[in-house]
Amino acid sequence: MNELQQQALFNRRDWLARAGNGLGSIALADLLCRDQAQARDSGILGSAHQAPKAKRIIYLFMSGGPSHLDLYDYKPLLNQRHGEQLPDSVRGQQRLTGMSGNQSSIPMVGSPFKFKQHGRAGGWYSEVLPHIASVGDELCVVRSMYTESINHGPGVTFFQTGSQIAGRPSMGAWLSYGLGSDNDNLPSFTVLITKGKGGQPLGAHLWGSGFLPTRHQGLLLRAAKDPVLYLGNPDGVADSSRRLMLDGLKALHEHQYSRGPDAEILSRMDHYEMAYRMQKSVPEATDLSQEPQHVLDLYGPDVKTPGSFAANCLMARRLAERGVRFIQLYHQDWDHHGGLPGALPRLARETDQPAAGLIKDLKARGLLDDTLVVWGGEFGRTNYCQGKIQANFGRDHHPRCFTAWIAGGGIKAGSQHGQTDEFGYNVAQDGLHIHDFHATLLHLMGIDHERLTYKFQGRRYRLTDVHGHVRKAILA
Amino acid sequence: MPRLWFVLSALLLAAPDLLLAAAAPSLKLQFNRDIRPIPSDKCFHSHGPNKQNQKADLRLDLREAATAKGHITPGQPEKSQILERILSDDPDEVMPPPESKLGKLSAKDAETLRQWIAQGAEYEAHWSFVPLDLGRLKGLSIDGIVSEGLSARGLKLQPQADAATLLRRLSFDLTGLPPSPAEISQFETQFARDADATVKAWINQLLARPQYGERMAVDWLDVARYADSYGFQVDREREVWPWRDWVVKAFNDNLPIDKFITWQLAGDMLPKPTQEQRLATAFNRLHQQESEGGSVEEEYRVEYVADRVQTVATAFLGLTLECARCHDHKYDPISQREYYGLFSMFQNVDEAGLYSFFTPSAPTPALFLSDEATRSKLAQLQAGVDSRQRAAMPLPQITLPRDALAIYDFNQAQKNRFPDLLHPQDPKANAQLKGANRLVPGRDGQAIAFTGDDAVDTPVGNFKRHEAFSVALVLQATQEAQRAVVLHRSRAWTDAASRGYELLIEDGRLKWSLIHFWPGNAISIRAIDPLPLNRWQEVVATYDGSSRADGLHLYLNGSLLRTEIVRDHLTRTIQGGGGDNITLGERFRDRGFKGGLIDELRVYQRDLSTTAAPDAALVEARRQLFELQDAQKEIMVMQEMATPKPAFILTRGEYDKRAAAVSATVPAVLGPLPSGSKPDRLGFARWLTSPRHPLTSRVMVNRLWNSLFGRGLVRSTEDLGSQGEKPLYPDLLDHLAAKLILSGWDMKALLREILQSRVYRQRSLGDASVMADDPENQWLARGPRLRLSAEMIRDNALAASGLLRLDMGGPPVNPPEMTEAFKPVTPSGNGGALRRSLYTRWQRTSPPPAMLAFDAPRRAVCTSRRERSDSPLQALILLNGTQYVEAARALGCELLRKHKACNEALIGEGFLRTQGRRPDAREVEICLQQYAAQLRHFSQRPSEAQALLKVGQIPAPADLPPDQAAAATMLAQLLLNHDACVVKR
Repeated sequence: MNELQQQALFNRRDWLARAGNGLGSIALADLLCRDQAQARDSGILGSAHQAPKAKRIIYLFMSGGPSHLDLYDYKPLLNQRHGEQLPDSVRGQQRLTGMSGNQSSIPMVGSPFKFKQHGRAGGWYSEVLPHIASVGDELCVVRSMYTESINHGPGVTFFQTGSQIAGRPSMGAWLSYGLGSDNDNLPSFTVLITKGKGGQPLGAHLWGSGFLPTRHQGLLLRAAKDPVLYLGNPDGVADSSRRLMLDGLKALHEHQYSRGPDAEILSRMDHYEMAYRMQKSVPEATDLSQEPQHVLDLYGPDVKTPGSFAANCLMARRLAERGVRFIQLYHQDWDHHGGLPGALPRLARETDQPAAGLIKDLKARGLLDDTLVVWGGEFGRTNYCQGKIQANFGRDHHPRCFTAWIAGGGIKAGSQHGQTDEFGYNVAQDGLHIHDFHATLLHLMGIDHERLTYKFQGRRYRLTDVHGHVRKAILA
Repeated sequence: MPRLWFVLSALLLAAPDLLLAAAAPSLKLQFNRDIRPIPSDKCFHSHGPNKQNQKADLRLDLREAATAKGHITPGQPEKSQILERILSDDPDEVMPPPESKLGKLSAKDAETLRQWIAQGAEYEAHWSFVPLDLGRLKGLSIDGIVSEGLSARGLKLQPQADAATLLRRLSFDLTGLPPSPAEISQFETQFARDADATVKAWINQLLARPQYGERMAVDWLDVARYADSYGFQVDREREVWPWRDWVVKAFNDNLPIDKFITWQLAGDMLPKPTQEQRLATAFNRLHQQESEGGSVEEEYRVEYVADRVQTVATAFLGLTLECARCHDHKYDPISQREYYGLFSMFQNVDEAGLYSFFTPSAPTPALFLSDEATRSKLAQLQAGVDSRQRAAMPLPQITLPRDALAIYDFNQAQKNRFPDLLHPQDPKANAQLKGANRLVPGRDGQAIAFTGDDAVDTPVGNFKRHEAFSVALVLQATQEAQRAVVLHRSRAWTDAASRGYELLIEDGRLKWSLIHFWPGNAISIRAIDPLPLNRWQEVVATYDGSSRADGLHLYLNGSLLRTEIVRDHLTRTIQGGGGDNITLGERFRDRGFKGGLIDELRVYQRDLSTTAAPDAALVEARRQLFELQDAQKEIMVMQEMATPKPAFILTRGEYDKRAAAVSATVPAVLGPLPSGSKPDRLGFARWLTSPRHPLTSRVMVNRLWNSLFGRGLVRSTEDLGSQGEKPLYPDLLDHLAAKLILSGWDMKALLREILQSRVYRQRSLGDASVMADDPENQWLARGPRLRLSAEMIRDNALAASGLLRLDMGGPPVNPPEMTEAFKPVTPSGNGGALRRSLYTRWQRTSPPPAMLAFDAPRRAVCTSRRERSDSPLQALILLNGTQYVEAARALGCELLRKHKACNEALIGEGFLRTQGRRPDAREVEICLQQYAAQLRHFSQRPSEAQALLKVGQIPAPADLPPDQAAAATMLAQLLLNHDACVVKR
C-alpha cells in the first residue's frame, strides 16, 4: 500500500467512524479486502521485474507501411539498376501479396529523394525528413525490422498485440495490466488518431484489452467536444447541479452501504467521484491553449489544428507529463501503392516536424530520460514497383525488412542497429522481429516479457507469445 | 525431510488453511480434487502429454511412467525423486527449473504432494473426462449438496431474499427486464401467502414470455461470436440476423439442447433438412472474415476452420483445443493429430478464404432466405424448367458460323483501337489494346502478344444466366501456365469472388466457368488434356443458358474436348460486380496470359454446341426461375461437400506447412463416436449429445450457472480441462448435468430446478466473514449478486422510463450511442433506437461504445463468459449518455405527471421502477431534499432547464413547468445511477 492508498483508507475509516453506523469489524474487513483488491488494480506485478529505464511510452504508429527505402534506408544500388528486374536470388521464397504477386514483371525502382548523413551519429536520412534528421543523435534507428504479415490488417494487429489475428490484448493494455497507472485521474493507456486521414482503416481491437479486464483497454481521446465518451455534462446540467446530484447519490450510497455492507457499493462511489474529477482533469490535460508560442513552434504550424498529428504529439507530451503510461498515436495513409513520389513527401511533412518537436520538447523538460518514443509502421515497401514502371510509381508491402526508430529512456542514442542488403530487400545483419521489439520495450519498462502473463482458455498468454528476445545491443 | 518440516511449521502459524490440511493427515487426498492442479500447472508442461516438449523422457501425468524409475515411489515420499527436486535450493536441481519462470512450488503444495505419495500416489482420470455416474447421482438435490458443503465449513444458507428482491432477480434472469411496479405488488401479496407456489408460478409465467428467448440469446450470441459485420480490416456489414432471430425462437420454443446443438453443428446433414435446420448452421460461419486486397486466400480459409474448431471446443467441450493446433496439448491428452482430425470435419464446405470486396454477395455456401410461398413458387418454376429440359448431345465437331454478335480480328488498329468487323463504323463497338501489349504477326494478319499485366477490353459480353452464348478465340500459348486468364467478364478474381464468366488455363488445361461466387456458386468444366503450346489453336467455349455444368462445352480446333466437371452449382446471377464486358489477357490482381497470343475473338449469342433451334418456352421458364432466384436474400450456412477435402497436420499451425495427412476423428480420451455415426460433423454432433459424453452437459450447465450467479461452478467456463479450475461442488455440476440429459435436454426444466432452489433464493449479502473469505461466492453461502450486463443496464433504464419498445427480430438498429462509436452512424428512427440492446448493430471494428464499457465482448472470437468490471467510464455513461439522460427525462416527467408533485409516493414509484424495491424513510428524505435543491437551482436558471429538457429524441414536455420537469429529471438520474439500479441482488 502506498501513501496515497493509506491515506484513502484512513479517510474511509474516518468517514465510517463519523457515520456512526456501528459497522465496526464488518466494514473494516470489507475495506481491507477491497483495498487489497485496489492495490492489485495498480498493476498485477506490484513492482517491476527489474529497475525500469523508462516509465512511459509514446508510440507514433505510421499506419500503411512507410517506405524505408525513401525515408531511412539509403540504397544507391537501386538508382543504378533502376528498371532492371529484381534478381530471383534476392527475392528468394518471399511470398508476395495478391496485389503484385501475379505481376509478370517486377522492376526495381530507385528512390527519387536525396539522402544525406546527419549529426554526430552520421545516420542517413532522406531529404523529406529534415527535422527528424536534426534529432538523429537522440535516436536509435533500427533498419532491420521484420514481420510475417504482408497485409495491413494482420500487420498492424501484430505490432499492437503480438498476434496477427485480432483479439489479443494490445501492448498498452499489457502495460496497464502489469504496471497500473501513475495517475488517479487519467487512464493509463490513451489513444490519439490524426483526424480526417484516409487510408487503411484502423479498428478498436488495436487498442483493445483482449482477454484482459476491459479497464486496461486504450481510451481513445477524440478530437471532439468530449475527448472521452460522454465526459461532458448534458446540455442544461451545470457543474453545480451535477455536484448536487452526486452529493445526493453519495448520501444514498452511504445509506445503502450502512444497510448492507457490500464492498461493491464503495467501489461504485469511488468511480463516481473519479468520473467527476475526470471531467476536470481530461479537458485540462487535452487543452493546448495555454502552451507558450516557443513550444508550439517546436511542433510546427499544424499544431493549431485540433486532431492534427502535431496537436496529438503535443497532447502526448502533456499526457506523458501527467503520468499516462502508454500513449498511442496513429497517423494513417502511408500505403503508397502508387503515386509515391508525390504522396510520401506530403505524409513526411505532416509528421516530420511534430515527431522531432516532441523529442526536443521532452528533452527540454528532462522527460526524454524516462520516456520512450517509438516511430514505425507495420511493414516496409518493396524495392520494385507495383504495376508498371513510371514516374509516379508505387511500392507494394514488404515484410522482410523495414525501419523503425526508438528514442529516450534506456536507448542507445545516436545509434544505428541492423542492416539490410544492398537491394534493401533482405535483412543482412541483426534482424529485429516484432516479438524481439516487444520484448525489448517491455524490458526497458522493467518487465521480463516472459513473466507478464495472463491465463486464458487454459494457456498462459503473453505479449510475445512464445517468442522474443531482448536486444541488448540497442540499450544504453 | 527435517528442512521441510521446519518450513512447514513456520508456515503453519501464518496459514490457517494449511493447519486444516496438516491437522488431518488421515484425510484421504483425491488426485483430481487435491493433486492434479499442482503438477498440471508446474510440471505437465515438460512432463505431460506433449511429446515434443517432454524433458528427461518423463511423464508425470501417467502413474505407470511416473513410478517406473522412482520419480514417484508410492507410499514412500522419502524415496520419491520429484519431492527432492521440488524442494531443492540448488538452481541446477530444483524443479521447475528457474528458466521455466513457472515459480517454485509453495510449501503447502509440496506438503500436499508428499501426503499423497505417502498415501499411495493413486491417480484418477481427470474428473471432467469421466462420464456422469447417473446411478450415484440419484436422490441428490441442489440444496442438499450445498447445505452439506456449507455445514462442513460451519456455515449455512442465508434466509430467503425478500419478495421484491427475489422477483427482480427472477425477472432479469429469465427475461433480462425489470418487473413493473404492479407486478411487484402482485408478487408480494402472493408471496406472503405461499412463497414456494408463487415462485414456481412466476418462473413459469416468465419462462413463457417471448422476452425469455431474447435474454437467453444474448449469452449464446457471445459464444457464437455473433456480429453484424465480417470483422478484420475491411469489416463490411453482413446480413446474419435471421440466425439471431432463430436463436431467440429456439429458446422460446424450448428446443431441446441436444437438438439446439445438432442443428447448429450439422443441420444440413440431417435427413431432408428443414430450412430452419439449415439456417441454424450459420453458427459455424459467424467467425471473422477477410477481404483486404492482396490477402492470401488459403491463409484465411485455414483461420476460419481453426476458429470453428476453437469455438466448438469452447462452446461444447469446454476445452482449449487451440493449443493443439501447433503441437500436442501440453496439459490435456489431446494430440495435434486429433486436433486436425476435428479440423478436417469443419472444413468440408465449398467456401473461399476471402469474401468479395466488389460485390455484396453472401460467401458460399449460402441458403436462400425464402418464405414458404416463395419456396413453393421456386419449386414449381424449377419443375417447369425440368419438364422442358432435354438432354442434348453436344455436336462432336463444329465450324464457326458468321452470325456472331461481334468479331475482332485485330488486323486494323487505329490508336490501339480495333473495329468490330460486324459494326466497323461504330466506335463504341471498338476493342481497345492497353499498356505494353504488342501487335505481332499472327495466324491471319496481326495478333496481340500479351504481357500478362495488360488487357484488351471489348464492349460486348454482359450475358444473363438464362441466355445461351459462346466465345471463340484463335490463340497460342507459349509457356506452361499454372494459371493464366485468357478471357473473362468480371471485375476481379478473389476481390469479386470471380463474379461473371472466365476462360482460364489452369495447370496447362483450358477451364471454362460461369460464376456467381467462386467456388460455392458456379458451374465449371476443365479439359482433361493439356493445351498444346506454341501452335495456333481455335478454342470455342459454349453455354446453353441452363445454369448447369453439362450445359458448358469446350472445342479445340473444331472438335469437342474431353472435360471434367469442376463445379456444378449455379443458383444466382453472373452479372454485376463491375467488369461488365469481355476482357482479354489480364485481370485485376490475377495472373494474365503472359507471353500468349490472340489472333481473333468472336462472341456469339447462342450455343454453338448444338444446331437445334432454341426452345423459347424453356428460355422463358428459365428466365422466370433465375430471376426469382436472384431476388432471394441469402445467408451463409454450412453445406457438406460430397467429397471431403484432404486434411493435413499443419506444422506450427501454419497454412502453408502441410505435414502428414489425417482423417476425421474425435479426441480418443472423450470416448468413441456412437455406433453407426460417421466421422463427420453430424457424427460429431451425435457424439457430443450422446448421454455418455462426459463434457457437453457439464459445460452447458456450468455456463448457465455462470450467467445466473456471475460465476460458474467451474469458474473457467471455457476450460474444464486439467488447467481449468476444479469445481468446489462437483456433485452439484454432475447432478444438474444429469438432470439436463434425463429431462430430454430441457433448458426450461433446468432453469426451474435451479431458480426454485433455496440456494438461488437466498439473500445475496452474507455475514462479513463470508463476504470477505469468499468474495466470488464460490461456496454459495449467499445468493447471486452481480452487476447487470450491458444489455440489462440499458434495457432496464428504457423499461423503467417507459421508453422501451418490445418489437422482436429483424435487422439490427442503432441506439444514440452509435453516434459516438469509432465509426459513427446515425441513430435509427421510428423507435428503433428504443429497442432492446440485443438488436443493437454489432460492427466488430466499431462496436457500441457504451455497451463495450459495460464489458460486452467485441465478439471477434467465442466468449463463454464476460468480465464484470466497474469503472469511472461507466459512471460517465450513466450520468451523461444521451440515452440515459433521455430515460431520466422520460421517467422524471412521467412520475411528475402522475403524482402532480414530488412527494413520497412519487419517490416510492421511482424506486420501484428503477430498482424494484421501496425506499426507506432516509432514502425518501434524501430524494425530497434533492428535488427541492434541484428545483431551486433550475427555477433560478430557466435556460438550463429548457436545455436539459431537449436532450435526446423525445419532445420536451409541454404540460409541465420546466423547472419542475428538470428537477424531476435530475431526481430520476439519481435513481438511475444508484447502485441498486445496476446491480442484481
